Amino acid sequence: MKTNKNILLPVLFIAVMLYSCSPKNISTKYYYQNEKVLDSIEESYKEINSSTPFDVGFTSKDFKIVSLGILTDSLKYIYEFKVGEDRLADTLKKFGLPVKPVIELVMQMQSIRCTWISSYDYYTDEKKQELIFMSIKPVALNAPLSYKKYYILTYFQQPQYFDNNGLLLERRKLKRLRKINGEIFKRINDKVCYTVSTTYR
Amino acid sequence: MVFKPHTHIANVKKHYKKFWLIVGLFLITCSCVGNHSLYAPFNLKVHKSTAKEALEYINHFDFSGSNTFWPNVNQHLFLKNIKKNVTHPISMYPGEGTYFCAYSALSYLLLQEDPLGYAKFITSLYKDGKATFRDVLYEPSGAIKREAGLLKYRGIMDIQPADQMWFLTLADHFKGYLNIFNRKYDLGDESTFWASVNYAKFNRMGKKLLDYKIESKGSDFLRPRIKNLYGYITEKLKNGKVVLYINNRIVHKKNHVKIKLAVPTHFIVIEKISKVNDVITLVYWDNGGRTLIQLSPAFLKRIVYGITSFVNQQDYENK
Repeated sequence: MKTNKNILLPVLFIAVMLYSCSPKNISTKYYYQNEKVLDSIEESYKEINSSTPFDVGFTSKDFKIVSLGILTDSLKYIYEFKVGEDRLADTLKKFGLPVKPVIELVMQMQSIRCTWISSYDYYTDEKKQELIFMSIKPVALNAPLSYKKYYILTYFQQPQYFDNNGLLLERRKLKRLRKINGEIFKRINDKVCYTVSTTYR
Repeated sequence: MVFKPHTHIANVKKHYKKFWLIVGLFLITCSCVGNHSLYAPFNLKVHKSTAKEALEYINHFDFSGSNTFWPNVNQHLFLKNIKKNVTHPISMYPGEGTYFCAYSALSYLLLQEDPLGYAKFITSLYKDGKATFRDVLYEPSGAIKREAGLLKYRGIMDIQPADQMWFLTLADHFKGYLNIFNRKYDLGDESTFWASVNYAKFNRMGKKLLDYKIESKGSDFLRPRIKNLYGYITEKLKNGKVVLYINNRIVHKKNHVKIKLAVPTHFIVIEKISKVNDVITLVYWDNGGRTLIQLSPAFLKRIVYGITSFVNQQDYENK
C-alpha cells in the first residue's frame, strides 16, 4: 500500500501539472478576457495593411527583436530591428508606412505578448477575401511543459460556418473541416476563431 | 498577400519514428554528398519558346470534351491560370502551407525557359488525363484528379486549378526516400511527407523537367564544403540559374525554440546576390514573388545545404 502511495503521488502531481499547462485552459476565455486589446491590434493592423501590405512579429523569446516584412509591387523586404531602434522608423518612412501607428501597434503587441500578425488571402466563389492571422504567447502557455504553444486567432470579414462542436468548416462542402496553416480552428464568434499551435506563423 | 515559407521535413514531431527510419535508410544509401554532375543526355530535343507562342497555342487549343478527367477543375479558371503562368512566371504560387516549394522552383525556371512546352503539357493533361513531357509520361491517380480544383485556404492557389493539377501531378509522379511511407495521395497530403522533396529527388526532377546542364553540391544532412560560398554562388549565377536548398526554419522563424533540427526545408531560386562590408544582400524567388534579405556570410553558410546550378546546354558546350 505504501508503495502504491509513493507511486500515486508523483503520478498525480505530473497529471495536475500537465492539465494546468494544457491548451484547454487557453480557449475562448482568453479571448474574452483580452478582447478589447486583441480587437484593437487587429483593427490597427487591418487599417495600416490596407495601404501597404506588411507583417510584423517578434522573433525573439524576450519580445525585443521585431521582424518586419514589407510587400511592394516587385519585392518583399524582410528586416529585423531591436525594439525602439531608430532604423525601424527610418525603414517605415522609406516604405511609406505610418511611423507612429506602426510603432504603437508594435508596443501594443509587445504588451500582450502577441508574437505575429499578418494577413492571408482566401477565395470564396472566386472572390478574394482576407483574414487576419494573429498569434499570442500568453503567460499561461509559458509553463515549461507548454512553452512551444501559441494561441492563434483568425479574424474573418464574413461570418463563417461551424459544425456542432464549433469546428470551422469549409463553405463549399459544409462537412469538410477547414484547416488554416494545417490547424483546425474553433469558434469564438461568427467571425473570430482560435486554435493552439506549436508555431506562431 | 503574405508570402509564407514552407517546410518539407517540418512535421518531424508527428512523424518522428518514420523520420528516423528514413534517416537510417538515407545514411545507408547515401549517395548524394559531394559534387555530382546530373547531366541529361543530349538526345532530348527541347525547343525553347516564348510566352507569345504559348499564348497562341492556348488560344487555339480545342478544349471540346475536356472536362471528363478533372471533375473539379473549372475550365474558365484553368485557362486564366495557365495564361497567367506563361506570361507572368514570377507569380507561380505553390500554395499556403503546402510542401510544393521544390516543384514551384522548378516550374518557375521551366516557365521562363519553355512556356510553350508547359502549355502543351498542361492542356494535354487537362484534356486526356495524362500527358508526356520530354519523353516522360505523367498519369496522375484518380485521387489526384478528384482533388485538383478543391484545394482551399492555400492563398491564390484556391482559384488556380491548373497549378493544383500541375503540383499534385508532379508530386504524384516523382518519388524519393522521404515519400517511402506515404506514396498514395490522401486528402491533405499536399502538406505531408507525400509531397516532400529531398535534394536528390529535386535534382532528378530538374533533369527530367528542364533542358539544362545541372550541377549540384550538397546533401540533405551535410552542408557543402565550400570555403567562399558567396563567391561560389556569384560565379554560378554568372553562367545560369541557381537554386539553393536551405534551412528555412532559421531564416523565417516559426517558433521561439532555440535548438532547431539542422535540416534543409526549402528551395529558393537566387535572382541576385551582392556583398557590401560583409553584409550579403540576397534577392531570391519563392512562393510567387521575390524577397530581399540581408545576412552575414556565416549565416549564409549555416543555412545552405545544397546549391544546384542550371547552365544552358549551349552555353555549357561553348565554355
